[in-house]
Parts: sequence; C-alpha cells; structure tokens
Amino acid sequence: MSETPTAQNRNSLVWMENITKKFGTICALNDVSFGVDKGEVRALLGDNGAGKSTLIKVLMGIHQPTIGQIYFEGLPVHIRSPKEAREIGIEAVYQDLALVNLMSISRNFFLGREVVKSIGPLKFLDLKNMETICRSSLHDIGIEIRSASERVGSLSGGERQSIAIGRGVYFGAKVLILDEPTSALSVAETRKVLSYIENARERQLATIFITHNVHHVYMVADSYTIIRQGHHVGTYRKGELSEEDIADLITGDRES
Amino acid sequence: MEKSLIKTSAPRLAKVRHFLPNSTIVAPVAVLLVVLVLFSLFVPKFFSFRSFSGIINAATLTGALAIGIGFLMVSGEFDLSVGSNLAISGYIYGTLTAAGQPFLGLLLALAVPALLGAVNGIILVWTAIPSFIVTLGTKYFYRGMLWVITTGSMLQTVDTLSIDKIFTGRLDILNNLISEANFRNSVLWLILLAFVFQLILGKTKFGNHVFAVGSNPGAALGQGVRVAHVKIISFAISGFMAGVAGILLFSQFHTVRVSSGDGMDLYAIAAAVVGGTLITGGAGNIWGALVGALIISTLRTGVVLLDIPFIPADNFEAIVGVTIVAAAILNMYISKRK
Repeated sequence: MSETPTAQNRNSLVWMENITKKFGTICALNDVSFGVDKGEVRALLGDNGAGKSTLIKVLMGIHQPTIGQIYFEGLPVHIRSPKEAREIGIEAVYQDLALVNLMSISRNFFLGREVVKSIGPLKFLDLKNMETICRSSLHDIGIEIRSASERVGSLSGGERQSIAIGRGVYFGAKVLILDEPTSALSVAETRKVLSYIENARERQLATIFITHNVHHVYMVADSYTIIRQGHHVGTYRKGELSEEDIADLITGDRES
Repeated sequence: MEKSLIKTSAPRLAKVRHFLPNSTIVAPVAVLLVVLVLFSLFVPKFFSFRSFSGIINAATLTGALAIGIGFLMVSGEFDLSVGSNLAISGYIYGTLTAAGQPFLGLLLALAVPALLGAVNGIILVWTAIPSFIVTLGTKYFYRGMLWVITTGSMLQTVDTLSIDKIFTGRLDILNNLISEANFRNSVLWLILLAFVFQLILGKTKFGNHVFAVGSNPGAALGQGVRVAHVKIISFAISGFMAGVAGILLFSQFHTVRVSSGDGMDLYAIAAAVVGGTLITGGAGNIWGALVGALIISTLRTGVVLLDIPFIPADNFEAIVGVTIVAAAILNMYISKRK
C-alpha cells in the first residue's frame, strides 16, 4: 500500500518524495513519501519518536532532507527556512509555539505582519485597525472572541488553537500543519477545533493533522499516513481500515 | 456571578486604560503613593518639596539605567554590565568635554556603551549562553579594560560647561515656582527618554517583536520575527541608556572613578522589577521602571530621615532586598488574577 511516486502524486498540492533524513549515523526518516491535496485532511500518524516531527520539520524548512525531493503545486521546491515555507503558503500551528501568551489576541494575530500607519517619517502600529480586522476575520471563519485586546494567556487551549488556525486561514495559507491540535483539549473544545478544520477543508485548504492517537483524528481525516521508526507503513483512504487496525499499525502490533 | 462582574467593570477599566501607557503601571504607581503617604505621616520633615526633589535627583542614574534595563528585560534578558558601561561613558564624556570636544564626547559616550551592549547581545546570540553569565563576564571585563586604559586614575574637572547645564543644570523654571524645590534638568531628559522608549515598546512593530521574543521566542521565530536581531538591538538600547547615565553622572559631579556605577546595575534591575517588569520577560513598562527607581529612592530617603538606631542609612540595601521580593510577589499575584 506504500505510496509510489506517480505523476498524480506530484501534481497534488504538497508531495514529499522518498524523503530520507539522517542525523549523523541515526536515520530518522527512511525513504518516506507523503503528501496532501487541496480540500483534504491528511492524518500523519505514528508513535512518539516515529519521525512525524522530523518529516514536518523537513517540510517547514527547519531540516533539509538528506535524500528526496519536495513538490509544491506540481513544481520541485527547496524550502530553506520556516519563513520560506510560510511565503509559499505552508503554515504550521504548534501547540506551545503557536501564540505568545502574554500578548493580546490581535497582537498575536498580526505578529510579524503588523499593520502600521505612518505619522510623518515614523511608523506606528495601527492597533485599532488590527483589532477590527482580527475580530472580523475570525468571525468570518466562525470563531467568536470576546475582545481582540484580551491576552491569549487567559484563553482556553481550544480557543488558542482556533485563533492560530484562523490566523493561518486569514493570511492565505494553502497548507495547515496542526501538531497534536486536540490532545490536551476537552471533548467540547475538541469538537470545536474539528469544526474549524472542516471549515478549512470547505475553503479548499490542505490540512496535515499530526497525532499519535488515531482516536483524535479518525472522524475528521480523509486519509491516513502511518509511519513507524522512520519507515512509511502505509497510506489509506477513509473507510479502508478501522480505528483499531490503524492503532495496531501505529504500534507495530500488526504489519501492513 | 463572576462573569457579570467582569462585564460591568470592563468598559470602565478600558476607559482608565486608555489614558495610561499600559495597565502594568497601575501597581507600581499605587506602591509609590502608599510609600510616600506612609513616610509623610510617620517621618518628620519628609513631606516637603525639598525632599521630593531630592528623591527624584537621587533616582536619576538608577532611573536612566532602569529605562534601558526595563526595555531589555521585556525581551527576556538581563544586563549586569550597565554599571561598567556607565563608568566608561563618564570617562569618555569627561575626557572629551575637558579637551574642548563636547559633541564628539556626547556622541562617543552614547555610541561606545551602545556598541558594548550590542556585543553582549552578539555573544548571547552566538553562544546561547544565558545573559546572566555573559553580562557577568563582560561586567568585569569592561571595567577591567577601563582600568587598563585609565590606569585606574580618577577623572575630575573643575569647570561647569554650558553643555553640562543642559543635562543636569538646575531647573529654575520649576524651582522658582515652588519654594524649597531643587529640581534638575535631568528629570526632563529622563521623562523624554522614557516617553520615546515606551513609544517604541508599545506602539511600534519592533516593540511588538520585543514582547513576543521575551514571552515566547519559539512562537516569535515561527511567525518570522528575527529573534537574534531583536535581542541584539535591545542590548544596544540597554548600553545606550548606560551611556546616558554616564553623561548625567559626569555633567553633575565632574568626577568619575573606575568604580563608578558599580552595583548600580542591580539597583536598575530592582527598579525594573519593582516597576512591574516580569523577570522572565514578555511584560513590562518603561514608565513602571522609572517609577520603580523612584520607589527605591523614596525608601532610601525615608530610611535616612527615620534615623533608626542600629539601621544606618548605608544599610538600606536590606530595604531594597525586601522591596524586590515583595514586588515580585505582587507582580505574580496581579498577573495571575488577570
């Protein structure tokens, strides 16, 4: 069931072909192929240390692949930094690294992309405008906030995830990478975050949902890629395997 | 129950906040007022413009350092070398003004400490050694180099130049209005500098990045903020303000020693913490740091005037120590309630 490099794969939105990543003598990824297409939610499943984060860090430009090629919108690309990844539309939402807790929602929303107004030769933050845009654009994708000037630290985990997702959508991300977005959330909050993921899918965004727990992702994903000890175990469409089958493949209790 | 309370008080709070640079300044101002009222009630001769202006003058150097340190601490770093930079600036300014080069003196007395501050930042960024260690090292190294260059001799001049008066001359416009008052021009310079750096911190893109880097450098990096760049500039600002402090020192006293400013770095950090700056970074206010310097100066004056037996005035460090811990506890309490 391993994905093979076909023309069709290369034409999907993101296609990472035969990626091998070595750190010295340690082989973190061994010939793994992985991709996601527009309007698709792809689960990236694997136990702790299986190579999920390494694979994503290669996509984000944090690591360079030892062997392998990344295709974006059908063209080969070299992503050298998270900044470059973001410029082509790949946005990662990390659990602890997404937002700055001591800053307001709007300041977080525009961090690195601040709206400024000029007063003579000087440029100052247009805080009012930032708050208005932040509020209305989050509202557009179904996220309601009490006040854009509220500190992020006072929000719940689910609210923080949704703001990070909303930010990615607003700034025109084509691929959203969500790292364990629901693992620390209550049932009600998980449901909310999943609804934002569905909203992103309706907007034809590609979503990569990273988790070690198939239960978190089974309902929302369209397809599942499982990796184990740096190897690609298999990629399956929704309905091909049960939740238990996938769980067994993650732990290695069953071979594909 | 709790929710309805928040709703009714929110608009009023927002209105109050509108007039303040930042809500974090409320607590230090309240502390300053409490300390002033208590000393006024219990210390004879405390309540006078003479002692108030004395408190402000005594807070000048710590205040100047606290503006820079406060800015740097928001970015999540410390600078223990500002005391050494103060002395370096004093020598540069003193030597060049005495040689008839006041403007070159001014320029270099600001640029050299700013550069040495940036060096702290560059070492930190390159080596990833904590700023406490980096600046502990440069604190001694910078002062040691100053000793080598000056051969340890004190610099003293006799003339008061007109440029000195611009910085630390008597503020007669105010002093003539209020009897007994003895304000100096340095107050105006500190207010101006605090205004500028608070404006940068609170209202510019760079300031936004400083807060982000101090609170969560990983998230800042993820959003494309140039973390290293932000830290190096913040260190340069801390050095620059040490340069300002050195100029204020020499223009008022016409004396600088190799040991000048020693220990003042810790008072400045104390002032920033007392003024509401989080020791872990990501929150703080320049006005707060200035108010923190005033609180420490008020405590010192109050303790001196109290003339308590067994606690000589020199021993006011004990009071500073208590104040730092109390302020840190207060800050933690306030940030938790939010």
